[in-house]
Amino acid sequence: MEHASQQNSSYQKKARPKNLNLLSVKFPMSAIMSVGHRAAGILLFLSLPYFLYLLQISLTNEAGFALVKAEIQEPVVKLFGLIMIWSLAHHFFAGIRFFLLDLDIGIDKKWAQKTAVLVMAAGFLVFAVFSFILL
Amino acid sequence: MTYQAKGLQAWLFQRLTGAFMALYILYFLWVIFTTEQMTYSLWLEWFSHPLMNTLTGLFFIHLAVHSWVGMRDIVLDYIPRDSLRLFTLACISFFLIMISLWMLRILFSLTL
Repeated sequence: MEHASQQNSSYQKKARPKNLNLLSVKFPMSAIMSVGHRAAGILLFLSLPYFLYLLQISLTNEAGFALVKAEIQEPVVKLFGLIMIWSLAHHFFAGIRFFLLDLDIGIDKKWAQKTAVLVMAAGFLVFAVFSFILL
Repeated sequence: MTYQAKGLQAWLFQRLTGAFMALYILYFLWVIFTTEQMTYSLWLEWFSHPLMNTLTGLFFIHLAVHSWVGMRDIVLDYIPRDSLRLFTLACISFFLIMISLWMLRILFSLTL
């Protein structure tokens, strides 16, 4: 039994297709959106310490609160903030799309592409609105 | 020792934690945008409220689970070498434990 499963797994390893030439792979909108979902997730994950730092300082005392308020007015921090706002928005909308796909809503190929475009657009719209507010 | 949540369990965790965090974020944004002038006393009062304090703690537990499942999926997809994979996963879990302890410290420092 064990021998058979070992054989099976080595067979699977051999048969696994390897295609590392990304230029030969088609990237429909759903793929770009999905990569964006992952990239946004990583960015959100890595930015956690900075946001915790801001939260901690802002709750310490009046001066800390003023410090954070001043810090988030800095152009570099604003730019960073906008990237994080896009990340959160994109991750949020892509997540809702996953929820709907789980419920078999928009599961067929044509609609899946349309909702992927919608997710991308919604992410950029939030980015644009906040750029307008913050800059 | 296993670092893999079973597939269905991981999928379910990701959905449930995502749903909770989505609601928390919407509530957070709603408060931020409906508060005309956010002052230190308002900010402190808000986070010191037992309900908000608890919700924020829960948010972080959900965040830790959600990002663990998500980051683990990405590592399993793109890092095929076992040693590097294990090292990366160890770094991610260490990072998450540190972040969670830090968050607990912030929340517990507020007097309810």
